Amino acid sequence: MDKKRKSVSYAKWGYIFIAPFLIVFIVCQLIPLASTVYNSFFENYMNGLDQVGPNFVGFQNYITLFTPKNGNIDILNYAWNTMLMWIMGAIPQLVFSLLLAVIFTSARLNIKGQTFFKTVIYMPNLVMASAFSMLFFTLFSNVGPVNQIIQAMTNTTFNFFLDPMATRSIVAFINFLMWFGNTTILLMAGIMGIDQSLFEAASIDGANSTQVFFKITLPLLMPILLYVAITSLIGGLQMFDVPQIITAGSGNPQRSCMTLIMALNRYIGSGSKNYGMGGAVSVVIFIITGALSMIVFKSMVQGGDKPKKAKKIKGAVK
Amino acid sequence: MKKRLLAALLASAAVLSFAGCSSNTTSSTPAADNNSSTPAADDSSTPADDSGNADTSSETSTPEATKVSLPAPVAASDEAKKAGTGITVSESEGKVFNIYAWNEEFKGFFEKYYTVPEGIEVKWTINPSDDGVYQDKLDQALKAQASAAADDKVDMFLAEADYIIKYVNSDYTMDISKLGVNYYDTEYEYTVSAAMDTRNGAIKGVSFQCCPAALIYRRSIAEDVLGTSEPAEVQAKLSDWTKFNEVAKTAKEKGYYMTASYVETLRTFSNNTTGPWVDADNNLVIDSAFEDWMTQTEDFLKNEYTLTSGVWGDEKNAQMFKDGKTMCFFGPAWYYNFCMGNAMDPEKGCSGDWAIVQGPQAFFWGGTWLLAAEGSDNPEMLADIFNAFTANEDICSALVEKEMQFTNNMAVNQKFAEDPDYGNAFLGGQNDTAIFVELAKNIKFENKTIYDQLLSEKFPEYMLDYFTGAIDKETALSNFYSFVNEKYPAIVTP
Repeated sequence: MDKKRKSVSYAKWGYIFIAPFLIVFIVCQLIPLASTVYNSFFENYMNGLDQVGPNFVGFQNYITLFTPKNGNIDILNYAWNTMLMWIMGAIPQLVFSLLLAVIFTSARLNIKGQTFFKTVIYMPNLVMASAFSMLFFTLFSNVGPVNQIIQAMTNTTFNFFLDPMATRSIVAFINFLMWFGNTTILLMAGIMGIDQSLFEAASIDGANSTQVFFKITLPLLMPILLYVAITSLIGGLQMFDVPQIITAGSGNPQRSCMTLIMALNRYIGSGSKNYGMGGAVSVVIFIITGALSMIVFKSMVQGGDKPKKAKKIKGAVK
Repeated sequence: MKKRLLAALLASAAVLSFAGCSSNTTSSTPAADNNSSTPAADDSSTPADDSGNADTSSETSTPEATKVSLPAPVAASDEAKKAGTGITVSESEGKVFNIYAWNEEFKGFFEKYYTVPEGIEVKWTINPSDDGVYQDKLDQALKAQASAAADDKVDMFLAEADYIIKYVNSDYTMDISKLGVNYYDTEYEYTVSAAMDTRNGAIKGVSFQCCPAALIYRRSIAEDVLGTSEPAEVQAKLSDWTKFNEVAKTAKEKGYYMTASYVETLRTFSNNTTGPWVDADNNLVIDSAFEDWMTQTEDFLKNEYTLTSGVWGDEKNAQMFKDGKTMCFFGPAWYYNFCMGNAMDPEKGCSGDWAIVQGPQAFFWGGTWLLAAEGSDNPEMLADIFNAFTANEDICSALVEKEMQFTNNMAVNQKFAEDPDYGNAFLGGQNDTAIFVELAKNIKFENKTIYDQLLSEKFPEYMLDYFTGAIDKETALSNFYSFVNEKYPAIVTP
């Protein structure tokens, strides 16, 4: 009896404290995830007003998805479009944001009115993606201001939305414009978290800005950079609203702007409510996202600073 | 212990999730079945009706299903002619009348000319038809009809020629003869056969318009290009596609566009196909009429006779202003009323500088049918609305005179067609009703499938890359096939 009393278990508090998260996670994430996988094994759609299925079809939906039709595996094209538009937006975004973050946090430059600039660069993120898309659609349309300028200068017009690369660039640029502010603020927080004495020590030792950036800022910023890269990747793979609105849902020209989620929307959206194929596409997106996140994680964590960082975190916890 | 408990909880949650979703998906099927078996009264007249849900789907997509003939038309009673002037409905009528629509067009006419019975509130649910959104929302509501509260039940919904077959050949719509609404001898036959359930001959609704379409041209541009702006002479110079294409060349030389959208002539061709989009075995068929359209459009875009704007595009609409450079538009009466706002603009527009002729090929476009939803609790008001917009000559006359409509009442149309004093100011005083009366005789309502709206809407979009020379025809077609596969798993594509 006495013995039992003495060993008071605090473990239950742990469970109680994580319970709210767990419940929300199970209801809002795990159950939908499981039901998506489950649905992907069924033929289940509407034909006009008639329901077809649900009939269990095994892996048929996945087979249909990856069977070449007229020489194309559409889902791979869509994955390529998505990745391409993400890279076109994300790389300039990372470089630009890093530059801004370094400039804003530099003690040497000590820029005035930082709050103002931070607010301004974050602004685009407050505008809805659909509003942004409509704006750019109007700007670059055949009768829009951009074409009026081109017309005035060269006496011809350029139809942006009939050229695959032009349309993709516009999509990438909108994403860049919307998210660089967010990234800059995250990176600034990361840089400001670096011990100032390191920068001081470096400057006393005679390091120039470039050396400080590559030897101190960048290595110590790695964890934040990794976080930014992975969240951006996941966001990029789920690219939907901008290309959907810019191309009026068609993904044209030449389906070059069809993203994975747009394909998903095709299946489960208006028309046939094809939950079987929709489920299969979702599972494929899930696998791609997981795999790519792992690759990004592995490639960025390597490079020597992994043990250092691990030690640091351990120390902080202690 | 607690760990085990948590594990059990997690496991059961996972199991529940599976069970939960499976019950979800199956529950939607019996609901649909329930609904379809509700109008039991229909069965007496239908030998084929017993076949159930799955069979009817194949029937709806085949054209030869039109084996049932129309009932004989009757003359409208004096009572029907007075419909819409504020009837008193019985106590059993629902207090809320729900109407589903895809734009404000009919709502405008309804609010202006129809007197709603005392004590009834009309509720509009409007969703855009682009990308099939309207059909989607409507389907959802119709499926929930059986379980919906009385005030939430859909009472009436609007449907367009492109997809009316989907609804009339289903049990979600009501036989209007049961409401006491007849097929009046003043209605155009095609508008009635379009609203007929091909399974049993029941008529499910009425159209308030008749939509023969015409070639709408700018008089001043025709004067410059053809040397005349008189409808009869213009028609002679545009009476077939060869002449039309020749004139396009002349127009280009004089600095004009023949049409303002590469999709402009599509309806003319698609209305004269030799077969439906989908054949009896659910194979997608690109009809020879579409091939002809592609040949023409490729030529038109290559030579800049037209623009790359969509049929509802801003670029096209800008061409309707006074400083526009486009000679021809295609459309029925509702088109200039509802879609040519730019042309009617008092400052930048050019009202009066327009006229209509038949053009190279007869066709019709759209039309709004009012369908009675099964399960409606407002049978008297439904009948009143149907009669008001087909039999009431005052309302129909107002639609012609004040709204530039071409109504579904032959007597009224004839009256205006013969009236020497009637002229449409927008068309420079031309009596458009007289022309439409002639054109209405050519309307054939045939080769329809339940997929028409999206197929006809998206086909040109996917072919545009081919027209601009970016990709070859096969690739463009395969892009379109991919779209069809994604949207309609039931259709088989090459």
